[in-house]
Amino acid sequence: MSQVLATPDRIKRLIVDSLHLEGVQPEMIEDEAPLFGEGLGLDSVDALELVVALEKEFGIKIKSQEMDREVFSSVSTLSHFVEART
Amino acid sequence: MGSFDEPGRLSRSILLTGLGTAGAYGCGAASLRQALAAADPQIHLSEVDRAAGYHRVQGARRAFLTERLFREGCLKEWLAPGEARRMSPPSKLAVAAARMALRCAGFADARCGSEATSVTVATTFGPSSYSEALLRQILFEGPESTSPFYFTESVANAPAAQIAILCRARGPSVTVCQREAGVLIALSQAAGDVAAGKVPHALAGAVEEVTPLLHALLDRFGALAGPGPDGTEVARPFDRRRDGFLAAEGSTMVFLETEESAVARGARPLARVLAWGSAFDPTAPRTGWGTGAKRLARSLVRTLERAGLEIGDVDRIVSGASGSRDGDRLEAGLLRAAWGDRPLPPVLAPKATVGEYAGGFLAAAVLAAGGAPFGPTPGFAEPDPALGIVPHDGSPLSPPSAVLVTSLAAGGAAAWLVLGAPPT
Amino acid sequence: MRHEKAIVAVSGVGAVSGLGWGVAPLWEGLRAGRSAIGSFRRFDHQLHRTHVAAEAVEDAPEELARIPGWKRLSVADRFAVAAAVEGLRQAGLPLRLGDGLAGDGEAGVFWGSSTGGMWEAELFFRDFVTARRRSRLRDLASHQVNAPGDALARHLGVTGPVQTISSACASGALALGAALDAVRSGEVDLALAGGSDSLCQLTYAGFNALRSVDENPCRPFRAGRAGMSFGEGSAMLVLEPLERVLARGATPLAVFAGAGASCDAHHMTAPDPSGAGAAAALESALRDAGLDRAEIDFVNAHGTGTSLNDAAEWNALRRVFGARASDLPVTATKALLGHLLGSSGAIEAVATVLCLRHGELHPVPSVEPPVFAATEEVDEDLPVALVLDRPLPLPEARAAVSTSLAFGGSNAALVFSRWGASMSQGD
Repeated sequence: MSQVLATPDRIKRLIVDSLHLEGVQPEMIEDEAPLFGEGLGLDSVDALELVVALEKEFGIKIKSQEMDREVFSSVSTLSHFVEART
Repeated sequence: MGSFDEPGRLSRSILLTGLGTAGAYGCGAASLRQALAAADPQIHLSEVDRAAGYHRVQGARRAFLTERLFREGCLKEWLAPGEARRMSPPSKLAVAAARMALRCAGFADARCGSEATSVTVATTFGPSSYSEALLRQILFEGPESTSPFYFTESVANAPAAQIAILCRARGPSVTVCQREAGVLIALSQAAGDVAAGKVPHALAGAVEEVTPLLHALLDRFGALAGPGPDGTEVARPFDRRRDGFLAAEGSTMVFLETEESAVARGARPLARVLAWGSAFDPTAPRTGWGTGAKRLARSLVRTLERAGLEIGDVDRIVSGASGSRDGDRLEAGLLRAAWGDRPLPPVLAPKATVGEYAGGFLAAAVLAAGGAPFGPTPGFAEPDPALGIVPHDGSPLSPPSAVLVTSLAAGGAAAWLVLGAPPT
Repeated sequence: MRHEKAIVAVSGVGAVSGLGWGVAPLWEGLRAGRSAIGSFRRFDHQLHRTHVAAEAVEDAPEELARIPGWKRLSVADRFAVAAAVEGLRQAGLPLRLGDGLAGDGEAGVFWGSSTGGMWEAELFFRDFVTARRRSRLRDLASHQVNAPGDALARHLGVTGPVQTISSACASGALALGAALDAVRSGEVDLALAGGSDSLCQLTYAGFNALRSVDENPCRPFRAGRAGMSFGEGSAMLVLEPLERVLARGATPLAVFAGAGASCDAHHMTAPDPSGAGAAAALESALRDAGLDRAEIDFVNAHGTGTSLNDAAEWNALRRVFGARASDLPVTATKALLGHLLGSSGAIEAVATVLCLRHGELHPVPSVEPPVFAATEEVDEDLPVALVLDRPLPLPEARAAVSTSLAFGGSNAALVFSRWGASMSQGD
């Protein structure tokens, strides 16, 4: 994982890799696109997997109470969340 | 488990109308039929990856693996990419086999005909690769690195759960874990539920995944056929030189229903399910086979009696003999004790071709009930005088009317089934 | 189309739990509403996300420790054997440890487990990978989930059917259902049915990875509930045809009236929020028992304490019991014993039998008022009639249901009726 990449791009790559999204290129994910329900159609287990991946990638700890829909709604919101903690 | 309202009479006649199977021999019953007729299992064996260093240097190296099925895509026919995204290998194999069985049973969209279809899946080791990955995360990276994906799909009942979701099966969902006897116990459970009127339809079978770690450990337990002087690893059921079995991964699922249901649907039956039962040999050590053949034989005869059958009615045996030194000895003891002085009918030993675990053996039994040709028993050349059983030599056999299928588990469990010829 | 079903009695029970080894400490703790969930020592949990569980501290009766091979058994194996020996003794069945069961008839074992010998296998795996010479292959001999059921079959000399079911949290309940069928059909004359599980790191870390675990002891059905707690132990019920029990002058503890099962077929981890699948299992169990829902006088809920499970389960209860659901007394044994995973259905069946036998429903400790939080699926905000702090006397209870709603959507429901209650069944 290159440190030169911006946070949104790192997150997109994490989404594709950790969630086994074969056939999806990180660049195809738009910053503001919905991740859960519609859009990529990810579900609660995907969210949990992504949390573990984010914790490892960014060296942060995410509490259960912090895992709400708004934080996880798009790459953009996730990015803000992560950057506030690093 | 049956519903025997009066001794000797089944409350409902059970038909097996769908078969799906995937293993090193390929996807689908046709590929298995070919493998059983050709009787050349060496071509299906693959080298197990030994890079992790789990294996003994002089130990077994090969197993019946399904990597080719994933790579070459025959499984893709049965799994849409989005569906399989988070599935462990056993889930993928089991869903594929279940869908094959449903399609075979005449359900065009490979979904269960009724919401009340039960799903009963047997597995010995469960989703081993995901379990191992989890343990590595927990023990070496720390518990907070645990992957939710891996955990969700590491439970023994993950394959059954996936089948239920994708095939829309809302009846009872049961995962049986009883080692080598599990697949027949699963079938017994399903047949019993249909016979008792609990569900009109049942999917039943087995799935297994053989990882490098599992293979190496089985070898260290002395369970596997070791490399011979020419380097080949051969399972030799009932043979004097037998030294272990060949491990197999894959899945087999069958579809069961009552005769009325099959007739109403216009389904073409592959076999009847005439009798089922199980027992336990408490003399068995935890990871081996015991000496209780006589008592097991009495249980077997009782199972037949309850179904209105006797030993003389059985005209074909599909034995669970796998090449295991002690397992085959017990199997032979069981058959000898059950038949007494009478000559045995032809004994087929398909685990020489399909290996142990994964249920390929059940698929072979269904094909046997339908009169499929079996080649000479691979690996067998020298009878063991202590066992006195000579498995089938490949000569043509007439279609049987009652096939006894047996499988004895390490640790003591034993299970059997009698399949009848399909009604014409 | 079935002929009248043979009545199956529970003639003995045995258990090991965080409340102690044996049914006596179990019942004493249950009726007092005393939770066994707290710090534990089975493994170092410092790096795990949570730090509590209801551990069954090693305290096996001395006579068991003298069974040949006891030392080599896994923790889950030992739990199983202990529960089996206790249950058989209570049933008044001839038992010589090491020699096995005497007496006529065929006995079978119907067991459930999620973990088997996983705890020992974890220790083996760590050594196998990092310090191979220290690893002992025999530590894997009890690894598989069928090992505990096999262990008790071996030690008791069982020769009838022996099978283990591993369907996550429904395992024990499904095993009981299979046992009921086997006794009714005459396949066995005696069924030893139950489950055993031990704490291990894999399940502890796994459920924590799903963020399903409360860092405090769980609070089923309460607003603000934050997840499950872990437990371990075993439970066994001795099941026999009623006539057999009465013929030897023994008194049944309860009647095992019926069992039902279904699958949500919805999602790998989340239950169907409408409760339809669980309701189907309950309806099936009632039909199997030949009982009307009006004859159910209390519920031993699955009640894990997770937001989703309790909501779905409440919806299931409402579907089955209608307006009566909010008056039907409910207990949630997991609040005291934690979640035994595969064996939870078995130990909760024992708890249900004990409640019927003693004529009182065990409470759960109160943490806050049992206000049920509404979700989109619930039209009204109806409280579950959770029994708090003090046991609820129910000496005339006719029958009860125990539910087990598993990971992966497998649902099981068991119906027990009080011995001595006059019921529509069997008339």
